[in-house]
Amino acid sequence: MTAGSASLRPALELVEVVKEYAGNPPVRALDDVSLRVSRGELVAIVGPSGSGKSTMLNVMGTLDLPTSGSVLIDGREVSKFSDRRLSAVRSHSIGFVFQSFFLLDGVSALDNVANGLLYSGVREHVRRARAAAALETVGLQHRLGHVPSQLSGGERQRVAIARAIVNEPSIILADEPTGNLDTASSETVMSLLRELNTSGSTIVVITHDREVAASLPRQVAFRDGRIESDSALAEAR
Amino acid sequence: MNTGANEGASGSARLTPSRLRPSDVVRVGGSGLRSRKTRTALSALGIMIGIAAMVGVLGLSESSQADLRKQIEALGTNLLTVAPGTGFGGGDGVLPEEAAAKISRIGPVEVTADVVTLQEQPLRNDLVNQNETNGLTAVATDLDLLDTLNGSMSAGDWFNDATASTSNVILGSVAAERHGITDVSDGVQLLIGEKWFTVIGVLEPFPLAADLDRSVLIGKAAAESVFDVELNPSIVYVRTHPDFVDDVRAVLPATADPASPEEVDASRPSELLETQDAIEDSFTNLFLGLGAVSLLVGGVGIANVMVIAVIERRNEIGLRRALGATRAHIRRQFLTEALLLSTLGGVGGIGLGITVTWAYARAQGWDVVVPTLAVVGGMAAALLIGAVAGLYPAMRAARLAPTEALRAA
Repeated sequence: MTAGSASLRPALELVEVVKEYAGNPPVRALDDVSLRVSRGELVAIVGPSGSGKSTMLNVMGTLDLPTSGSVLIDGREVSKFSDRRLSAVRSHSIGFVFQSFFLLDGVSALDNVANGLLYSGVREHVRRARAAAALETVGLQHRLGHVPSQLSGGERQRVAIARAIVNEPSIILADEPTGNLDTASSETVMSLLRELNTSGSTIVVITHDREVAASLPRQVAFRDGRIESDSALAEAR
Repeated sequence: MNTGANEGASGSARLTPSRLRPSDVVRVGGSGLRSRKTRTALSALGIMIGIAAMVGVLGLSESSQADLRKQIEALGTNLLTVAPGTGFGGGDGVLPEEAAAKISRIGPVEVTADVVTLQEQPLRNDLVNQNETNGLTAVATDLDLLDTLNGSMSAGDWFNDATASTSNVILGSVAAERHGITDVSDGVQLLIGEKWFTVIGVLEPFPLAADLDRSVLIGKAAAESVFDVELNPSIVYVRTHPDFVDDVRAVLPATADPASPEEVDASRPSELLETQDAIEDSFTNLFLGLGAVSLLVGGVGIANVMVIAVIERRNEIGLRRALGATRAHIRRQFLTEALLLSTLGGVGGIGLGITVTWAYARAQGWDVVVPTLAVVGGMAAALLIGAVAGLYPAMRAARLAPTEALRAA
């Protein structure tokens, strides 16, 4: 393999990942999960609640470390990283989109998006310029000065998506991005994610909604902490 | 797999750490306060009151002490007074007539003056009732009084040999005010013991001689000739060489009244002012203590608000961690917030304290003195309290695991 060639390096790779939570007996939330997400992919991780989806999000997003196995983000093995280095990985390589948006109240859409660059040491005027560009990408260039309470649910989620892409991460992790939205807004948000993917973003959508999952090119189904099926592997077979 | 690990290693080398610019730390801390204005104002108010109390108390005490020091300076620490004793013997309340003359023969004594309180009552004119003296006393004085007490005239002239032996009066500052006399050019007259006296001068207030300020002064010679009284001094003012004040004081009773020195009180007025100073000091300490207590309460208020903020803003903390904030960044954010809060209170408190000092000192006619120590100390106290109050909540915020913080509320 030609090491160092960025285009060949997967954006995200999990190798034999096990995640156990302390208890008696210990709860095994992820059981020997291996998954590779290549650059430019749009993947759905789908499963009922309790299937290990949320744990997957935490481990993929370096918010939590696996009990054993390796997690590679952008080619970096992060499973032994210190908290500081994990923070660095998150600030540069990962963009998060959450079900409940997590926008800061009373802060303009522009500054909420600019916060996506806050911890990468970029100057404020640069952050704002890039935030304006990101808001334009999600079609909210006319809402820069609006605070979250002045925006609809769909618009809020698009602001959150702009925040996730503003630092041009290697991978975007969207956790139930349509969970708090009506059908119309959900459709807008999903097509936005598909558009971003078309223009090169690598996106993982975690959802319990089979319909949402079915609208994406690749589906990885979880059950009881294991990968039940992976449409990519099925095609390969 | 190996390749992945190698790439990981080379990748690590390129990993740029998360970074929060110092200006952004302040911005982030400030935005936390801006989004909760009422709460910010109320919790800053606690600190503000405490700091204002301390700055105000220190400012007022400093201003009043500066005023006292000014009085002591004007009075001079080398002034002694001799008066008939009120001590054990009780005495006959009389000093020998020649007491002042004897005292002036003590080596280091520079100048002496004695005054005699007269029985005759000073009246504004012959139309008022005998008892309407306005609380003023007629006093016979010798010519050296003005020099001895470092007094000065606000109008007219001090006695000379001629004016002191005829029917002239000089008014103490309070006496002049009570009679409404500021101008002596038109020869206003007063009545003392049924005799008319012309006002030829008005005195500025004497430091620590309020009795004299309430006096209507006539020359001793005039008193002797007009009223035919014996001139036993009511009080002798003694100005000594500054290096021999205690020595002179020790021999004053025996010099003034060799027959019964135990019936003589020799005192040093500047000591009274110093005592007053010390009493004010103890009040200052009391109020400083109260200020410190309210600062402490203010600090607890800030800690309380910050702990609540950390609980309420769990999701924000989780979000910031997801955006790449390290534990240190979160800790810094909340610590900064607490410090800004206390700075706000500190600046407000110093402003309020100075305003109070200024207003009160001006009302008292003091020079306004705002001690640097109070301002610097007040600010330092505010910051210290902010840091201490913010530390625990900030550590709690930083310790919060990202996964837990991101859990929907």
